[in-house]
Amino acid sequence: MRERIERALRKSEAEYTEIRIETVISSWVNFRGEDLDNIGSSKTVGGIVRALFKGGWGYSIFNDLNDLDKRVKEACSSALLVGKEQSKFAEVETVVDEIKASFGKDFRDISLSEKKSVIEEYNRIILSYSEKIETSAIGYNDTFGKIYYGNSEGTYIEDERPDASVSLLATAREGDNVQRGFESVAGGSGFQIVEGLQEKAEGAAKRAVELLSAPPVNGGKYTVVINPKLAGVFAHEAFGHLSEADFVYENNRMKELMVLGKRMGPDILNIIDDGTMPNLRGTHKYDDEGVKTKKNYLIKDGILAGRLHSRETAAKMGEQPTGNARAIDYQYQPIVRMTNTYIDKGKSKFDDMLRDIKLGLYAVDMVGGQTSMEMFTFSAAYGYMIRDGKIAELVRDVVLTGNVFETLMNIDMVGDTVECPPAGGGCGKDGQSPLPVGFGGPYVRIQNVVVGGRQ
Amino acid sequence: MIVNQLIDKAMKKAQGAQASLGKSEATNVSFENDRLKSIKSSQSTGMSLKVIVDGKIGSSHTTDIEDIDGIVKRALEAAEFGSPAHFEFPGFQKGKDVKVYDAGVESISTDTMVGLSEEMLALVKKYNQDILLNAGAGKNVNNFQFANSAGAEYSSEATNYSVWVDGQLIRGTDILWAGHSIAWKKLEIDHVKIANKAIDLFKMAEVIAPVKSGKMPVIFTPEGLNVLLLALSLGFDGKNVFLGSSPLSDKMGKKIADERFSITDSPLIDYAAGSSIYDGEGVPHQVTPIIENGILKNFLYDLDTAGRAGKKTTGNGVGCDATNLVIKEGATPFRDMVKNIKEGLLVHSVLGLGQGNPVSGEFSVNILLGYKIENGEIVGRVKNVMLAGNTYDALNNIVAIGDKGEWVGGALFTPPIQVGKLSVVAR
Repeated sequence: MRERIERALRKSEAEYTEIRIETVISSWVNFRGEDLDNIGSSKTVGGIVRALFKGGWGYSIFNDLNDLDKRVKEACSSALLVGKEQSKFAEVETVVDEIKASFGKDFRDISLSEKKSVIEEYNRIILSYSEKIETSAIGYNDTFGKIYYGNSEGTYIEDERPDASVSLLATAREGDNVQRGFESVAGGSGFQIVEGLQEKAEGAAKRAVELLSAPPVNGGKYTVVINPKLAGVFAHEAFGHLSEADFVYENNRMKELMVLGKRMGPDILNIIDDGTMPNLRGTHKYDDEGVKTKKNYLIKDGILAGRLHSRETAAKMGEQPTGNARAIDYQYQPIVRMTNTYIDKGKSKFDDMLRDIKLGLYAVDMVGGQTSMEMFTFSAAYGYMIRDGKIAELVRDVVLTGNVFETLMNIDMVGDTVECPPAGGGCGKDGQSPLPVGFGGPYVRIQNVVVGGRQ
Repeated sequence: MIVNQLIDKAMKKAQGAQASLGKSEATNVSFENDRLKSIKSSQSTGMSLKVIVDGKIGSSHTTDIEDIDGIVKRALEAAEFGSPAHFEFPGFQKGKDVKVYDAGVESISTDTMVGLSEEMLALVKKYNQDILLNAGAGKNVNNFQFANSAGAEYSSEATNYSVWVDGQLIRGTDILWAGHSIAWKKLEIDHVKIANKAIDLFKMAEVIAPVKSGKMPVIFTPEGLNVLLLALSLGFDGKNVFLGSSPLSDKMGKKIADERFSITDSPLIDYAAGSSIYDGEGVPHQVTPIIENGILKNFLYDLDTAGRAGKKTTGNGVGCDATNLVIKEGATPFRDMVKNIKEGLLVHSVLGLGQGNPVSGEFSVNILLGYKIENGEIVGRVKNVMLAGNTYDALNNIVAIGDKGEWVGGALFTPPIQVGKLSVVAR
């Protein structure tokens, strides 16, 4: 493949050209209720040529690998049509590397019937948990991707990228009241991570049933304590996206709002994006521009310390590339994305966070989140009211919202242990979704959080 | 055709088979931050095979259209452990004609797409120089072949075309986003109208209007109606109904919405984004009333789900998803709706939709783009505000339905709808 890619790259008339080819083998098993819903496998081969000329980009995407030269020409002629300025593209070290995945039990060697029997057990656990369990949705998915990446500067990388995941959804029902319990496990790992999840399956069923008798949270403003899983989503939505340089690099007003050195939160707040953490979903040695990933401080001691870059945004802002140019697959060009994002540990204990709260909310586990840069939401799977310093009743429909320029400043306690759960997480941006990302954090306490709900 | 080869090979071991092959060519031009940024061209191929062996289903998919033996082998393997089939592949049935191909889309040049994007940028910039803009246009041409072992067979050629513009305006630490887009199967899109719509959304947002927490009436714009349609779409999905996870599963024939509310799955509208003659299982598309005058009339089914539930497919395969949704126009001009509100909200787009327990009907969302109505007038944009309620309560509590529908994207046609009081939590 290397020779084919390098030969095609020599046909380029652009200033910079790269070719990324992917082969992906995947398989899936899904149960919905008692029945197996579907089972199957797929094989995908495809690629993208990206060419840069005078600041303009041309992309050519293809499934047929037979005519790479033509795709290079097509991308170049598009770039020539677009480019009218000067290209800016950060210098990086050229590398030649071949990464073999070491990920334990290779799921490619495991039969579909074994995959099926593992999740069938989880499904049985959920369905037999209680009469109130109405149905279930259990999904298993594995993908083994191999990336062949070459660019006109001489970098050539072959990278194996395994990913395995299980999602466990229990649905309980009483009359018109339909509630869910959800658990997921995912990572750049082998089959071992989807085994032994009996407790999680039971937990999902238990939660769904318990939520039937939980009232919706009353809307209002609360002191909120979030658990590590939710803290990860909070870091991702509340701040991570705003640190993506493609929102900033050609936007003078945003540059003023996001000047390095600006105070964003209290001294105890540190937010980090790190693409090198073993076995998490956002981890790779190189990003999709062939740039080495690393640990990047976004907020250090409350101060804006850095941002996430592609080679283009780094050059345009006069900063260093960070290894954050990622693409969900061969059909897309790499754009600035997070890898694994977490809030670093502080010094507080969970019980101390609760102690002086008269009426507050403890929000647990994540469903998801969304941001418009300034305003954001993040949804908890469930929550408990905090009354007089103690965890009180279970509540449902917990959606929190904030404003990045205020909410971070309202963090007043950060827990002393970071957890980065191997949970399934997918991020969406510019039509590229879901990109595997990792996240985590400690327990975090935030004052004055607006919680949606009826009064 | 390749699909017939796939069927023949599969039928050596299988008792039923269905194959499809798609080829697509696409071009997109994209402006970012006020400038032409990229041109993207794509050629894609894919084929899928579904087989039934000893009453069990297996499926496989590949982008390599030469890998005929491989895809057959993998589908047969999967069938060994597959789910029981609750249906038989249908024979050929002639579908009703619907227009899905426009030669104009195939022939529009990249230069033209660049030109109209530039015009949209210029229009919005003329309104306000400070809005930082993204815009673009995209087209594709799809060729699709389908066959099954029962004799259904068709091929189709379809085009898709889309135009969009959106912008960001920063004042202090306030970040405002607004934009508009259309995507459907014909070239006829008025890009000037799209730019003007985006300008209107910005104009109404020039001032930020304070909101107090409480209960108030809400008008959902056609775009904003997605807040209610998400739960409803999950609710009439035949699979959710069969599995009991839809709150509508025991409501067939009952009144579940205001009597003025009617919604139809409508795949036979010329050039709409969700239109085609057949569904993905070779079943002719049909118009399916879902709610008629407030009464629940039908759920949407595909072959397998219909088989399991003892129903007939409604041509919504595979997956029981809607094609184009059409909501019936009402009698109230939008202006009158606004005029009759003393204090309320106009909601256009939200953050966090579907990130709770959407099938239950509950929603709790941040208003991304929405406006305050005071004494019959839109007085400005609202911010840092959460809106919460229940879709089914809201549908029963409709105050007025607009007399003029609009296309949202290209697969939803709806007028604005005003519902009674919803909970609002402001900062």
